[in-house]
Amino acid sequence: MARFVIRRLLQSCVVLLGVTLVVFLLLQLVPGDPVRVALGTRFDPQTYEALRARAGLDQPLVVQYFDYLRRALTGDLGVSFRSGRPVTAIVLERLPATLSLAVTAVLFALVIALPLGIVSAMRSGSFVDHAARVFSQFGVSVPDFWMGIMGILLFAGVLGWLPPSGYVALTEDPARWASHVALPAATVGLVTASILTRFIRSSMLEVLSEDYVRTAEAKGLRTRVVVLRHVLRNALIPVVTVVAVQLASLLGGVIVIEVLFAWPGIGRLTFDAVQARDYPVLQGAVLLVAALFLLVNLLVDILYARLDPRITVK
Amino acid sequence: MSSTRFRLAGATLALTLLAAAGCSAGEGVDVDGGNGTAAGGVLNAAIGGEPDQLDPHKTSAYYSFQVLENVFDTLVEPDANLEMQPSLATEWTTSDDQLTWTFTLREGVKFSDGTPLTAEDVVYSYNRIIDEKLNTAYKFGTVKSVAASNPTTVVITLSAPTPNLLANLGGFKGVAIVQKANVESGEITTKPIGSGPFAIGGYTSGDNIQLVRNDNYWGERPKLDGVRFTFVSDPTVALQNLRGNEVQWTDNLPPQQVPALLDGDEPTVESVPSTDYWYLALNQARKPYDDVNVRRAIAFALDREAITKAAKFGLATVNQTAIPQNSAFYYEYAPYSHDVNQARQLLDQAGVSDLTMDLMVTSEYPETVTAAQVIASQLEAIGVNVKIRTLDFAQWLDEQGNGNFDSFMLGWLGNIDPDEFYYAQHHSGGTFNFHKYNNPAVDQLLDRARTQTDQGARKQQYEQVAKQIVDDASYIYLYNPDVAQGWSKQVTGYQVRTDRAIRFRDVALTR
Repeated sequence: MARFVIRRLLQSCVVLLGVTLVVFLLLQLVPGDPVRVALGTRFDPQTYEALRARAGLDQPLVVQYFDYLRRALTGDLGVSFRSGRPVTAIVLERLPATLSLAVTAVLFALVIALPLGIVSAMRSGSFVDHAARVFSQFGVSVPDFWMGIMGILLFAGVLGWLPPSGYVALTEDPARWASHVALPAATVGLVTASILTRFIRSSMLEVLSEDYVRTAEAKGLRTRVVVLRHVLRNALIPVVTVVAVQLASLLGGVIVIEVLFAWPGIGRLTFDAVQARDYPVLQGAVLLVAALFLLVNLLVDILYARLDPRITVK
Repeated sequence: MSSTRFRLAGATLALTLLAAAGCSAGEGVDVDGGNGTAAGGVLNAAIGGEPDQLDPHKTSAYYSFQVLENVFDTLVEPDANLEMQPSLATEWTTSDDQLTWTFTLREGVKFSDGTPLTAEDVVYSYNRIIDEKLNTAYKFGTVKSVAASNPTTVVITLSAPTPNLLANLGGFKGVAIVQKANVESGEITTKPIGSGPFAIGGYTSGDNIQLVRNDNYWGERPKLDGVRFTFVSDPTVALQNLRGNEVQWTDNLPPQQVPALLDGDEPTVESVPSTDYWYLALNQARKPYDDVNVRRAIAFALDREAITKAAKFGLATVNQTAIPQNSAFYYEYAPYSHDVNQARQLLDQAGVSDLTMDLMVTSEYPETVTAAQVIASQLEAIGVNVKIRTLDFAQWLDEQGNGNFDSFMLGWLGNIDPDEFYYAQHHSGGTFNFHKYNNPAVDQLLDRARTQTDQGARKQQYEQVAKQIVDDASYIYLYNPDVAQGWSKQVTGYQVRTDRAIRFRDVALTR
């Protein structure tokens, strides 16, 4: 197990190295002059040249890349072109907001999708099944920003139950954190729940038609036992992968939702960095997201072994 | 599926949503930012985005200056009519040759950390901008030296008479007086120290900046205990925050709702004409736009009222020159009546037919995207086929800088002196003359007016400049927009300013 983890971590490093190169090269292809965006509407040509030099943008690309890499190896991702602050700090301070939103959204999604998926598979063709399918169709087809705005108008405007936007750290005040995270997490969670419901339903249906389920039923086991011990446990293996992929992509930041709800996460940071062509911040954010993605995948592989003893980690 | 079932499913979904949101909501919603103990209270203000940094000499973002306006001081500052008034400097004299300006500083001014602000700090601040070629270095183009002859006297020596020196030194907080220790520690980017009515109390990246009252402030003690700026980029959400009293002030209002809000009672929304102007520029380095008749044809083909209505929902004043009516330098001149026949004739004269014109606009300023559609349909009437190109701002600037455009629409914001309205844009050697306008007579006038110290003569020269630029259709001016801002009934003493500076020093919150 330990050897497996170490090997996977080493592989991850290679992937991350590739990510830095690809992101760096892609950024060079994106049109847009960061210096002019930073200087705004009025400046002297000398001011332009001075800022370009200060930011190191007048150096050859190869020099810029290796300089970046050399510093990145020591954990220094450079300084933001716009704020002059260290990128490592900027990116890490956005992590709690994104983490708490992503995890809450996935939990929210599971709370809806698990019962809905299971029941609609058990009672295939029933009213609940139809309702579940309408729900998931709705969730995946309605744009999330629209759903977000409707949520704000209803829960913050008409009902006045929740604040329309903003963020409070979980560590600072859990109750106020919860009231602020509810709307964005529900908006994101609804989309995720729609995807998961479909997936859980079809995975359950597949397992329900297995011979061992028929055997279990023939042995006279109660439905509850059959479902929980035999069906669900087997049906959940592929679901874990989907949940993990969903979680990992949410960790990359939900740009539209974070911007809409003024949520200070990675997604909003990335969005602002793209607008400003703040390359160091963008590189740092992408690198962090890639690392999170790899980490989640590693955890999933380990979890697999726990869920299914037939799978051994080599 | 039957329609009854569909509705039932919808109802179930709505209930699930309500239940889910309801149970995770926890306790009631806090509205005062968690700090409502003191009498003055904390004003919550929603601005449209996050400052990139708080060093006034290095940022160019309006979001930064919304905050910094309340934190820093300049030697002089514009009043409501944009006339320069004493601030850190109480008085100033000019030598007979107009080349030496001597400023007397207010006695006993302190930075918010309690250290004294003296003439040395003024010298340091200005030299920092000049030597490091920071953003506002262009405002010091004629400054030869800055010296402190004693702790309350600053002497500025110029290489040429500079009648707009006061506007350069006080127009906005980009030329603020900063503290050397604060700069050298690097803290100025997140925790700047100024001498203004408020000081930075805290900064949560991505979410908010808190200001606290500066008890060392030299002016009248601010009534508020503090101001908390939050960054809400969606205007609908910002308005919802204002209505729900999560914030008590915002300038990020949905433009299409502003006319109705102005008529409404709560929240209070007011608007004033701004000093900004929006325009269309044609690339004179490209044919056929080098022909003045083509440019004039397009100027005649435009119906500015219709453009303004679409782009600004009527919240703007049509103007065929740059400088707005409320300025002392306003010049009334409107030769381009909306006249399709005249426009067609001019195109014939130029021998142009079947023209396809590329029009570059940016999603950064949605009004340009809306206006472009109206412009396109208006130009279609004279046989010009407009191809609209919508780019993100960084790319837009790139294209503009490289001269890759037939035409573009954009605005110039926050101008005070006529030199700011014209020189960089229309002088053949101007930094922002991307459309390659070149008229030696205008060059000469601009150079002369720049150093003209007689105000009457100066105004006359700028009128000549304005007339020539409009006649040549160097820029085709469209309108001066209004500034609209909203606040709750609790807020008293706030005034919308024509230069968009956000000042909270005289504001109070009633409970």
